[in-house]
Amino acid sequence: MRTVLLASMRHHTRRYVAASVAVAIGVAFIVVVGMLTGATRSGLTADVGAPVAGVDRVVTTYDSREVARLVEVAADRDIPVLTLGYATEPVSRDGVQLAATADVSEVSLDARLQWQQLEDGRFPAATGEALADVNRAKSSGVRLGDVVRVGSGDAAVDVEVVGLVDSPAARNSALYVPWEDLRRFQDTSFWVDAVAWGGSEDLARATAPEAGVESAADWTAARQAEISRGVDVIAILALLFVVIALFVGVLVITNTFSILFAQRMRDFALLRCVGVTRRQLRRAIRLEALALGLAAAAVGIVVGVAAGAGLVALVRRWFTDMGPAALDPVWALSAFVVGTLVTLGASWLPTRTATRVAPLAALRPDTGVDVRSAAGRWRLGLAALCLVGGGVLLALAVSGSSVPAMLAGGMVSFVGVLLVGPVLVPRLIRLADYLPGGGPVRRLATGNAVRNPRRTATTAASLLVGVTLTTAILTGLASSRTAIDRDMDDSYPLDATLTSAGAPLEASLVDRVGGTEGVTDARVLDGTVARVGGLEVPLLGSPGADVVVRGPADLSAPDGTVLLPYAVVEELPTRLGDRVWEDRELTVVVAGREHTLRVETGSGWGRAGLVSPATLATLDGDPRPMAVWARAGDGADAEDLTGDLAALAGAAGAELDGGYGNRTWVYLQLDIMTGAVIGLMAVAIVIALVGIANTLGLSVLERARENALLRAMGLTRRQLRRAMAAEGLLLSAVAAVLGTGIGLVFAWIGVQVMVGSVVEGAGFTVPLAQVAAVAAVAALAGLAACVVPARRAALVTPAAGLAVD
Amino acid sequence: MTTTLPTGTPTGTATAASARGLTRTYGDGDSTVHALRGVDLDLPAGRFTAIMGPSGSGKSTLMHCLAGLDAATSGTIAVAGRDLAGLDDTALTLFRREHIGFVFQAFNLLPMLTAGQNILLPLELAGRAVDRERYDQVVGVLGLADRLGHLPSQLSGGQQQRVAIARALVTQPDIVFADEPTGNLDSEASAEVLGHLRRSVRELGMTVVMVTHGLDAAAYADDVVVIHDGAVTAHLTDPDQDALVAALRGGIA
Ligand SMILES: Nc1ncnc2c1ncn2[C@@H]1O[C@H](COP(=O)(O)OP(=O)(O)O)[C@@H](O)[C@H]1O
Ligand SMILES: [Mg+2]
Repeated sequence: MRTVLLASMRHHTRRYVAASVAVAIGVAFIVVVGMLTGATRSGLTADVGAPVAGVDRVVTTYDSREVARLVEVAADRDIPVLTLGYATEPVSRDGVQLAATADVSEVSLDARLQWQQLEDGRFPAATGEALADVNRAKSSGVRLGDVVRVGSGDAAVDVEVVGLVDSPAARNSALYVPWEDLRRFQDTSFWVDAVAWGGSEDLARATAPEAGVESAADWTAARQAEISRGVDVIAILALLFVVIALFVGVLVITNTFSILFAQRMRDFALLRCVGVTRRQLRRAIRLEALALGLAAAAVGIVVGVAAGAGLVALVRRWFTDMGPAALDPVWALSAFVVGTLVTLGASWLPTRTATRVAPLAALRPDTGVDVRSAAGRWRLGLAALCLVGGGVLLALAVSGSSVPAMLAGGMVSFVGVLLVGPVLVPRLIRLADYLPGGGPVRRLATGNAVRNPRRTATTAASLLVGVTLTTAILTGLASSRTAIDRDMDDSYPLDATLTSAGAPLEASLVDRVGGTEGVTDARVLDGTVARVGGLEVPLLGSPGADVVVRGPADLSAPDGTVLLPYAVVEELPTRLGDRVWEDRELTVVVAGREHTLRVETGSGWGRAGLVSPATLATLDGDPRPMAVWARAGDGADAEDLTGDLAALAGAAGAELDGGYGNRTWVYLQLDIMTGAVIGLMAVAIVIALVGIANTLGLSVLERARENALLRAMGLTRRQLRRAMAAEGLLLSAVAAVLGTGIGLVFAWIGVQVMVGSVVEGAGFTVPLAQVAAVAAVAALAGLAACVVPARRAALVTPAAGLAVD
Repeated sequence: MTTTLPTGTPTGTATAASARGLTRTYGDGDSTVHALRGVDLDLPAGRFTAIMGPSGSGKSTLMHCLAGLDAATSGTIAVAGRDLAGLDDTALTLFRREHIGFVFQAFNLLPMLTAGQNILLPLELAGRAVDRERYDQVVGVLGLADRLGHLPSQLSGGQQQRVAIARALVTQPDIVFADEPTGNLDSEASAEVLGHLRRSVRELGMTVVMVTHGLDAAAYADDVVVIHDGAVTAHLTDPDQDALVAALRGGIA
């Protein structure tokens, strides 16, 4: 039996290429995911413990007052202490804003706790000196010796940058200032979760009774585990796509084995005739599958390691927090085992069918390979059951907004579609007969395509999976994008606001803002300055809806009412603030006269109050330009725009605000997500295309005689190539059309269930161009997949084809 | 009349196909096989010619070359007055469509087409209109009228070969090649098929060239070409049994 096994493997190696490619791609995919997430993990967890390396204990607390007490007590007793937290504050230089919000953390003046990696300059020696992150400094043009202002209003503080440091991913603030400078933000934007503590546990407990105390090592381990969990989520999401790709791989492999075994049916029968038992035959075939799985998985590991290393190196060029490429041996071994098992599993059913061959089959008159297969009754019954059951589950999911019901229903009904494939797919292919302009070539193509319903259906199914999911996900993302659009318009009605800090703005500022690249509209707002409990707040006459305001947001204020940003209310003295929250009233002083206004709170228009033009007139008879609002054009570069406007604002003594940066960031995330989904799904689609090429290629071998006969009868090479191209195109087009249809239905259900439960009246948006592109790419790729088989088929001379046995 | 002509044409007849200095070798180096070594041959039109010879003597190769299914290594071939040399694959295919019909030993029919569709296939490939009269005539001669709707798998071997002959005849080709058309049939079915081939020559005026290694089959033919080891050793016109046996036995007569 070993001779037979080896000989048959040698003889059939080339026919196994496609199946091996499918397995190898799947395994390589797993390896790449492992290497990427591994590199991310090692990059993100690197140096987590650095800030606490100089101490034995870490005190964990979120209470900034307790933190302040700890720092005070430590200072008295000369205990090393370092707060681990950050304030988010605007940073500017010479009045020009460098960043609307930057993370500012503490740098210790105690050498034992100066954990940062110094790249240039020195560590601060006194209050008023600061470290800057070298990358952030480079991008905003900050150099050693620059004096930057941190914070706004009264809390602002000027610090000199004396050193540049390379921050690890786990603690990457833009600026590090000594505690005396950082504590100004203690009650506003400072957020802290731990304190590196050089003193005794008892002292920590006595000083901060609410806080927890752990060893520095425990704390570091806990942080690392936390970050790891974050990466694990990404890994699991990526593995979801691996599972999809492997599922498609299983379809391809099963199909390959079915076709190959059908072609070798006579060999098997002959072996049985000469005395090979069914068990022996089964064992031989399974060994063949095992050998294939082992070889393909090994290739997959090698390819995966190469691709993973390349990708990690590529990503590291932009994303410096990425660690070096490495592959966890356990992960690699799992990938290997999964690849092998998938191959073995996929060969199981075809093997059973193949070994059921009766020895007599070898003796039947030779009428050529008859590989017709049909859908059994039980199969159709099961399909109907799945379709109905899945449909009911999906209906329940929509009515009850239940995600588990949706997933289960989606899967069950999709299985139903796959089961009904052998009946459905050939019918759909037959529809091509009704298209005008047919001829012998197309008749031949449709005939060949529907010859073997199960084979055709499985081939189409492998592509169907990818097209369906891609369409559903793209449509889902597009639909959530409309919801996000609305949300963005609510949160960020204005792209950019330049608001005076007190003095009226120059009249020409609006023209300069309007002339800035990327700005499509700019509008000047008149206003006045009001004093509220020691604060100066500009009050602007609101235009209400305007060209510069995005979406349906209405920023108009009723007469006698002021729209006040939350941030300004926070700044108010407690007494006034409470009055705003409780009575919704505020007394402002304009030009020495007191006015009491009703208050509504909101955000999105910078640091100013909004009043109606009529109210403004009663407050101040001679309002002056106090703000400029600008609307950015589609696709304007957020960083460039912010930089240009910040320069204008700085020169004009105005503060730059606005949502364009955040808006573009959110959309960038969406785009990245869309890109990632497409990239991840592409793997499954590529495997499916390998499958199509494979089915066609194997069919070519099987039809060698037939094709030779046709060629002898007068079918030209070109006609034969065109017939095969048409066959491939029919297969992939049916999969594309079916997949697009099912994908849209799934997306609609998904939107109803997931978005509809959160947002009222969830919009269903079909990204027509994207969906059409997916369908077109799938269909055309099917065409591309048959280039090689078609060429090979056409090259055979009729005489050679007739000699094949 | 029994004339032994090592090469050449029986005088006074048009030539349907001819070969001059035809060689065909397979492989190269040590494993070179000379399947044909310089064949000169003229096949007369309107006659039923059998090509005979032992297994491996190059009969099929000769037929494939003559029919433009395989490229000759050297030599010239003319079919229906047309020199096949210099025709590219497409031109050759189009030529086959118009002028040549085939019957093979097995796998003659496309399994997914009915008998009727198989018969009409060459016309469909060529985009030619069906000549109903001709179709009915051919189907009638071959006795297939009540089998046209059947798939090949529903027909007996003899019936399958008759369908293949009908397909070869329906285009009214200048010459029909048949490679051991009875190789897979029992004697009764063989006789039936051979009878049909002869009728197609007699009644429909076709030219048929048949490769066979059976003496019984050759007896249906008008002429017999004997081939040994890649070379034509005899071209007999209306031979009797004895002459045939002698030619086959004696190698070069
Ligand atoms: N494709 C091929 N490659 C190599 N040798 C071949 C090939 N086809 C035929 N032959 C050889 O050419 C010779 C003639 O073959 P063939 O014409 O098929 O013989 P016949 O039909 O008379 O039995 C044989 O020796 C055969 O082995
Ligand atoms: Mg032969």
